[in-house]
Amino acid sequence: MSTSRIDGYARALFEIARAEGTLDEVEDELFRFARSYESSDELRRALSDDDLPAEKRRAIIEDLLGGKATTTTTQLISMVAGAGRGRDLPAIVDSLVERASSAKQLAVAEVRTAVELTDDQRARLKAALENATGRSLNLKAIVDPSVIGGVVATIGDTVIDDTVRTRIDQLKSRL
Amino acid sequence: MNALLLGVLVAAEGEPHRDDSGQVVTHHWLLPEQAELIYGTISSLLIFGLLWKFAGPPIKKAFIARTARIEAEIAAADAAVAAANADAAKIRDAKGDIDAERGRLFAEADAQAEALLRDGRERLESEVAELEARSAAELASSTTRVSDEMRAEIARIVQHATDRVVADSLDQATGDDLVEAFIQRVGASS
Repeated sequence: MSTSRIDGYARALFEIARAEGTLDEVEDELFRFARSYESSDELRRALSDDDLPAEKRRAIIEDLLGGKATTTTTQLISMVAGAGRGRDLPAIVDSLVERASSAKQLAVAEVRTAVELTDDQRARLKAALENATGRSLNLKAIVDPSVIGGVVATIGDTVIDDTVRTRIDQLKSRL
Repeated sequence: MNALLLGVLVAAEGEPHRDDSGQVVTHHWLLPEQAELIYGTISSLLIFGLLWKFAGPPIKKAFIARTARIEAEIAAADAAVAAANADAAKIRDAKGDIDAERGRLFAEADAQAEALLRDGRERLESEVAELEARSAAELASSTTRVSDEMRAEIARIVQHATDRVVADSLDQATGDDLVEAFIQRVGASS
């Protein structure tokens, strides 16, 4: 999909969420779903299968998110998947997050950890990253077992990596 | 000679020759009559003179011709001898040339054989050296490849083992500690 079309979908989702007054919550839920979509081959296959009827794709999404996300989030994802743009969902969501962060004068900080962060850890991590970068951040935490342990934070072009995965990779390179 | 003359004198002093009836035939049994002697001598001289006059020149001419023919034959024989000698010399020269040619051919064959042997030896030595170098290179390559493969396999095993060991040893508390350490380090890096 072209960048303009992705931006178009992102702007539409952004405006709908903002109009509903649940932008922060929807943005966070969309971000989490996008990351789940990237890490799940089965989900990616189901939502990007053009031969699968739109109704079936919507049903899958409602089964997955029913009761676990806001209605707005579920309907937005169903709309994207039903329009046959499921494979572009991560790019659309990332564009939406960028747009929402820009609207709030924030930079997106994508943080990957092997374990779920507590609210306290999220707050202190956000403060530490803002302190280190000198920018106000919109922290997006992702649980990624592949990092094994530690944290990797990506803020724009800056990557702060202190994961066990990277250390093992470095050890492998030395070997 | 003296004995012959003595015999003639003795005979001249002998008896006259008689026939069976005892009648004298000649005055001597050996010597001719005087007239006969005179006529015979004159006749002989005449015959000799005639012979000298008429038969002498043809005989002399025949002798001269014979001499010339003999000289020609001698010259021809000399020429034949010279030709034979020349032919013999040519044959000897040819024989010498043949010997030289044979020697040259033998020498050339020896040189070619030696060159072939030398070339063959050099080629063999070159091929042996090339084979040795190739073998050494292949051996080194194989050694390096095996070493690399072993290193890669060890690294893969170590990584796999490390992944499992680390993943198994990382519990929630350790994960939280790592997150806390990251927060501390990033917070302190401003």
